[in-house]
Amino acid sequence: MNGGGPTGLTQGASAPSDGSGLPVDPALVEGRHPDRPAEEIPEIHQTGCPDHLRERIEQLMSRYPDRHSASIPALWAVQQRYGWCTPDGIRQAAAVMRVTPAYLESVASFYDLLHTKPVGRHRVLVCTNISCWMRGGDELLDAFCEAAGCDRDAAGQGGSSSEDDELFVTGFECLGACDLAPMASIDGHYFGPLAGEDANEAVQQLITDTEVLPDKALAKRGAAGGPEPEPDPRVAKAKGG
Amino acid sequence: MSPEAKREITLIIDGREVAAPEGEMLVDAAKYGDVEIPIFCYEPKLGQPVGACRMCLVEIEGTPKLQTACSTPVRDGMVVYTQTDQVKEAQNAVVEFLLVNHPLDCPVCDKGGECPLQDIAMGWGPGRSRSTDPKRHFQKPLPLSPLIAIDRERCILCYRCVRFSQEISEDSQLQLLDRGDRSFVGTFDDRPYIAPFHGNITELCPVGALTSYTYRFRARPWDIEQGGSICTLCPSQCNVGFTVRDEQVKRVLARDNPEVDDGWLCDKGRYSFEMLASEQRITAPQIREGGNLREASWAEAIERAAAGLREAGPASAAIVGDASNEEGYLVQRIMRQALGSPNMDSRPGGGPDRHRVIELSRPELSVSTRAIDDADAVLVIGTDPLHASPILDLRIRKAVRRNGVRLAVANERPTALDGGAEAVARYAPGGAAAFLAELNEGMAVIHEGGEAQGETAAAASLLCAAGRPVIVWGERLGRGEAGPVAVDALLELARGLGCSDSDGAGLLGVPETTNARGLREVGVLPDAGPGLTEVDSGRDAEGIRAALEADELRALLLFGADPVRDHPGSAAWDRALKSADFVVAFAMFEDASAAQADVILPLQSHAEKEGTITHPDGRLQRVRPNVEDPGQVRPVWEALCELAAALDHETGLESAPDVLATIAKEVPIYAGITAEEIGGRGVRWQERDAGGALPEGLSERGRSADGAIDASPRDTSTRGEGPVGGELLLGTYRDLWATPVTELNPPLRFLAPQQRVELAPADAQRLGLEDGDEVSVAQNGTSVGARVAIRERMGEGACFLIEGTAADNANALLNGGPVAVEITKVGSK
Amino acid sequence: MPETRLLFRHIDEPGLHTIDVYKQLGGYRTLERAYREMEADEVLTELEDSGLRGRGGAGFSMGKKASFLPRGGEMEKYLCCNADESEPGAFKDRELMQKNPHQLVEGIAIAALAADASRAFIFIRGEYDLQGDILDAAVVEAYEAGYLGQDILGSHRNLELVVHRGAGAYICGEETALLDALEGKRGNPRLKPPFPAVQGLYGGPTLINNVETLSNVPHIVANGADWFKSFGTEQSPGTKVVSVSGCVQRPGNYEVELGIPTRELIYDLAGGPGDGHQVKAFYPGGSSSPVLTGDDLDVPYSFEAMADAGSMLGSGSIIVADERVSIPQMALRTARFYHHESCGKCTPCREGTNWTVKMLGRVTDGEATPMDLDVVASVQDNIIGNCLCVLGDSMAMPVGAMVRKFRAEFEELLYTEDTGVARIGAVVGKPEQMGAMR
Ligand SMILES: Cc1cc2nc3c(=O)[nH]c(=O)nc-3n(C[C@H](O)[C@H](O)[C@H](O)COP(=O)(O)O)c2cc1C
Ligand code: SF4
Ligand code: FES
Repeated sequence: MNGGGPTGLTQGASAPSDGSGLPVDPALVEGRHPDRPAEEIPEIHQTGCPDHLRERIEQLMSRYPDRHSASIPALWAVQQRYGWCTPDGIRQAAAVMRVTPAYLESVASFYDLLHTKPVGRHRVLVCTNISCWMRGGDELLDAFCEAAGCDRDAAGQGGSSSEDDELFVTGFECLGACDLAPMASIDGHYFGPLAGEDANEAVQQLITDTEVLPDKALAKRGAAGGPEPEPDPRVAKAKGG
Repeated sequence: MSPEAKREITLIIDGREVAAPEGEMLVDAAKYGDVEIPIFCYEPKLGQPVGACRMCLVEIEGTPKLQTACSTPVRDGMVVYTQTDQVKEAQNAVVEFLLVNHPLDCPVCDKGGECPLQDIAMGWGPGRSRSTDPKRHFQKPLPLSPLIAIDRERCILCYRCVRFSQEISEDSQLQLLDRGDRSFVGTFDDRPYIAPFHGNITELCPVGALTSYTYRFRARPWDIEQGGSICTLCPSQCNVGFTVRDEQVKRVLARDNPEVDDGWLCDKGRYSFEMLASEQRITAPQIREGGNLREASWAEAIERAAAGLREAGPASAAIVGDASNEEGYLVQRIMRQALGSPNMDSRPGGGPDRHRVIELSRPELSVSTRAIDDADAVLVIGTDPLHASPILDLRIRKAVRRNGVRLAVANERPTALDGGAEAVARYAPGGAAAFLAELNEGMAVIHEGGEAQGETAAAASLLCAAGRPVIVWGERLGRGEAGPVAVDALLELARGLGCSDSDGAGLLGVPETTNARGLREVGVLPDAGPGLTEVDSGRDAEGIRAALEADELRALLLFGADPVRDHPGSAAWDRALKSADFVVAFAMFEDASAAQADVILPLQSHAEKEGTITHPDGRLQRVRPNVEDPGQVRPVWEALCELAAALDHETGLESAPDVLATIAKEVPIYAGITAEEIGGRGVRWQERDAGGALPEGLSERGRSADGAIDASPRDTSTRGEGPVGGELLLGTYRDLWATPVTELNPPLRFLAPQQRVELAPADAQRLGLEDGDEVSVAQNGTSVGARVAIRERMGEGACFLIEGTAADNANALLNGGPVAVEITKVGSK
Repeated sequence: MPETRLLFRHIDEPGLHTIDVYKQLGGYRTLERAYREMEADEVLTELEDSGLRGRGGAGFSMGKKASFLPRGGEMEKYLCCNADESEPGAFKDRELMQKNPHQLVEGIAIAALAADASRAFIFIRGEYDLQGDILDAAVVEAYEAGYLGQDILGSHRNLELVVHRGAGAYICGEETALLDALEGKRGNPRLKPPFPAVQGLYGGPTLINNVETLSNVPHIVANGADWFKSFGTEQSPGTKVVSVSGCVQRPGNYEVELGIPTRELIYDLAGGPGDGHQVKAFYPGGSSSPVLTGDDLDVPYSFEAMADAGSMLGSGSIIVADERVSIPQMALRTARFYHHESCGKCTPCREGTNWTVKMLGRVTDGEATPMDLDVVASVQDNIIGNCLCVLGDSMAMPVGAMVRKFRAEFEELLYTEDTGVARIGAVVGKPEQMGAMR
């Protein structure tokens, strides 16, 4: 969001005076006219909502006692369909959910993973929070920007997309994987620990649609930090899972 | 919310004992001890406190952390400190934090002088800021709407405006976007914020972030005066405060009256003051000479008016629109006593007969507006309050949202309240009578332990389950042939629900005009005199129109009425005025009807007038002069007395209070009422001793003493399936903005509705029409142009047009009951 | 002293995330017993007696919180599992959900029984895609096995469980913000009171517990409160899955008995900073906990001992900084996080985090004056205790502690123009040197 205001409204420059020396806003003389309508709850037929999206959102709403609870899932569905939360997508979801698009935009703009502006197709979130930073998170972000051709400064403040809109790289707060530090989340999958070279490799794999860094994937790692200890006797004789 | 008095408790604030109602929030309770606790986000009108700004932190014995006084209910024996170092530090801290990103541009800020942030920073702040870092920047000021500018740098994110949009008006267009200190108040896709109540946010904003274009830079707090009156632009009769500078209204503010408006205003009431001083305003009497109108002295004009009326004598008639009780009383007196004519009406399209009016007025069957808050269930039938009485829409929303009131809505057309309703029923235009009859049957079935069937079932079971039901009904359903049947069914419903023996249960009518109830009760009806007393009956509005056309009536007095625009059958009214020998119009502006008058006499506005009006719930309220009368304009009661005198009827009335005193004598239900008693908050006549003084109405079982008229077959048959072929049943409604007020106030012009015909998707498909198509809607010969608007929630077989638009007025197609229309495509969008 | 694996028992067992393997290892027996043979109150008493303390941060007694919910009544009651795990340094819930989702589902079902809740939600942070999918699958399996749904095991009790994914906002971990987010609003914390136990989700009584807390439930109900109390200390019974990261050779999750010396976690288990480096400071309970120094290594790892040491156990996540790490830089990282995550609802947090970041930025850029350091410190004091939720405090406490305990290091920066400090101090070494990582 740009923090701008409704466009197309004649600006209230100070104009004729009402005799008392104080300027009178033109609104009082000829009135102002919006060039776009306000956005109330749209009707579905006005939004051209694809059936599968409508059905998906209706199914999501049915999971909750209150349809509003489906707002985040519905926005995920919109983002999945259009790549980001486009104004049209938001209007479609709003029509199905019977809420105002403003309501959904307000929700979307609150969350880091929902994009209210266009972003590159593949999303690389590089953790630059404390633990990863200590282990080279910043450098990893440098490397990804380098490899993807994204602007480093922008990537440090909300993200940057590559020219061809293939990649979106952004520094991110702790992703809950400090054991992999420095790490990154690529299209929702966690990888780490990563070195600069891994960034290049990953970007190539993304562009060529091949599996990304197979041997660095969290999904493939064993769990606990240390080796399996001898079970504590109290645990050994314990019932239950 | 509930009115019953709370228990008194005592707490100790800063060492002093303070008595306050139990459960009151500490900020409010402290006021009883003259202790002021600073606040920003707290605003009880907005519902539950949010505790966001943290300005109101205080120390409470027994709790280690400071507490927010805005969200802490007081308990007996509670010990509170508002002056300790810990509290002062917290207050300093919050003020300092608020100013970290505030531009401190007070000298050029429109809020300067009446800004809570300014005052609190002075009173509770550290006096200096230690912040040396750059501040957050936004483009400023930007239009948030055609009426409101937003300065996001000044915003302190108190949430008030967005809470209003989400929890009071529920338009949910205004939202907080982004997160943390990047948050800002905005709309979807930077669209303009356009909603009927949005002006209220300028009053809620505690800083200069939201300001009205109509007031920016127009005055400073030190060169204005504040005065109170009533907004007479719709039946809501909101209490308003006028900001006056150089004898001109510069701003309209809410003047909280929980019994009437809950402290809110609609944008019509708030932004329609430019017209009071506009060039178009008629500020001197005018008389027609050689086809043209020319200015004239009051004496000359009144002489001409008297002559014209005298000529016609009993063959004259009066149509009254917007008028105070005093004015209405004098008009009917002139008609009945000076001219011997019983022909008068104050209801566009007429309405029920005297007996039914009396029944509908029964105190035991009626409720106060406030009763909606505490009802168990509310049935809204035959009206969309948003358009007919906007503030009522907010009241009902509040009841549903905050007090869990169950809502049922039955109407021809989808209403703004449908979203919050548990039961929504749709009937075909003109089908109210039959719907109510079926509803009554359903109720009967349920009372016998059965299951109600059909469209009315949901509403029926909802109402049956309610101990305190309130029925909000559109008085227009009493119009036309089916009117009496509808009213009888309504009365049967109310009695069936035991409204007569349960407090807080009953009927609340939503009339067509602002003071409809007052005018009724002072006798501006064809068959009822002051106090609804029996009189030999004359012609109602429709009858008067017909009689004028047929030359059975010869002279017409129009008082604050523009039948050509506002009554059904515009064309017929136009002919009627033309064929009248003489027309005298009391008017503020030269409207379509006044344009045909032989004499025009200027009216006062609600900012100039002294008088009383009666709220639809029976509350008498005072309209008070706040600015001088412009030009030749003068108190109208005076002019009416002179007119009466010129017609050899000496009223002997010397002043507005005199007139009220006479009304208080002649109208038994108003017996003895005075301006002092009415005061600033008004009184409901039903709650006074004289309340029981209504004349006999219908005998038992809601049957009319003069025999009820049956529903004409058409009305019942029109329910459900619409007419065949390309024909659709036409319904019309009065859009909130389809009024001259919209055109007369430049800031509101962008809201003037273009005529559009609303259709159900199926009907649109059948007729091969799409959204935005240009069509002509025709009914035997007459037709109006419109654009197609497809509405998913509409009943099939019906279509809707707006009444009272400046162009393509749907009233042109009406002729009493519902009509079938032909829709043909003229062009596509 | 080795790990004591209770929740982590069988953690590396292939296929543990499937219902079959989980059941082979004894899973869901406790649920069956609870639903078939036990009264809600029995279960509740067991949990209360066990003294199990919340593992999400506040450390409040789980059983007691459950007992705050009104018993009976028509009003629908809810259980929310807090799986938002977004506090820097914490990654234990991730592992618990990914490796042993059924342990959590079983715990939720039993806790719901105790709290008489008929609807449960797992609010999982949107970033945890893999774990969300695994939970979805587990929930489906549990429904098919009749452990969820209507009339569970013929007990006439129902439980609907929905996995609800967030979309990236740390604040949604705060219990009332979580409720707003779950209701489809922006994740802003609510004013308390009313507390969720009285008026929570959709206005109904609601029990909110952390993933690890709920994963303990089956074990307690299976083996009894006394058995559980045989682990840990009197005030901190049980084991704790501790996430150790930062300057250690084997970052990861270690499940230990509460009360062991912190040193053992950092050195014996996580391998310490390695080759001649020393611990300079560490966050004992996630980035919200006031930092302790190398002198505090022997503080027992328990709720009470950490409180006495002027910090807190919090979510049980240790972030270690050795002498190469610049504390002012670490303070700035910390402040930046909370500034980014502040929801913006209340003034001190919204403006205080923002202001602190600006000031610390000037400090690390060598542009700050001594006065600024005092302002930084006093701004932290002005935040603490004045906010709507404790996110503000969560920045103010560690940052305040860093300025207090390492003031000299901040002062060093005041006068130098050299902004290279950060970089030199930051990187501890490339991953490949960081020793074995399984
Ligand atoms: C800003 C903030 C973030 C929090 N994040 C989490 C979280 O990610 N996971 C969690 O379990 N608790 C979190 N909490 C604590 C919760 O508010 C709550 O105390 C906890 O979920 C209760 O569960 P427990 O009693 O089992 O610990 C957070 C608290 C705050 C103030
Ligand atoms: S604009 Fe005004 S009312 Fe709205 S949030 Fe900002 S300060 Fe509050
Ligand atoms: S007035 Fe109490 S927190 Fe804002």
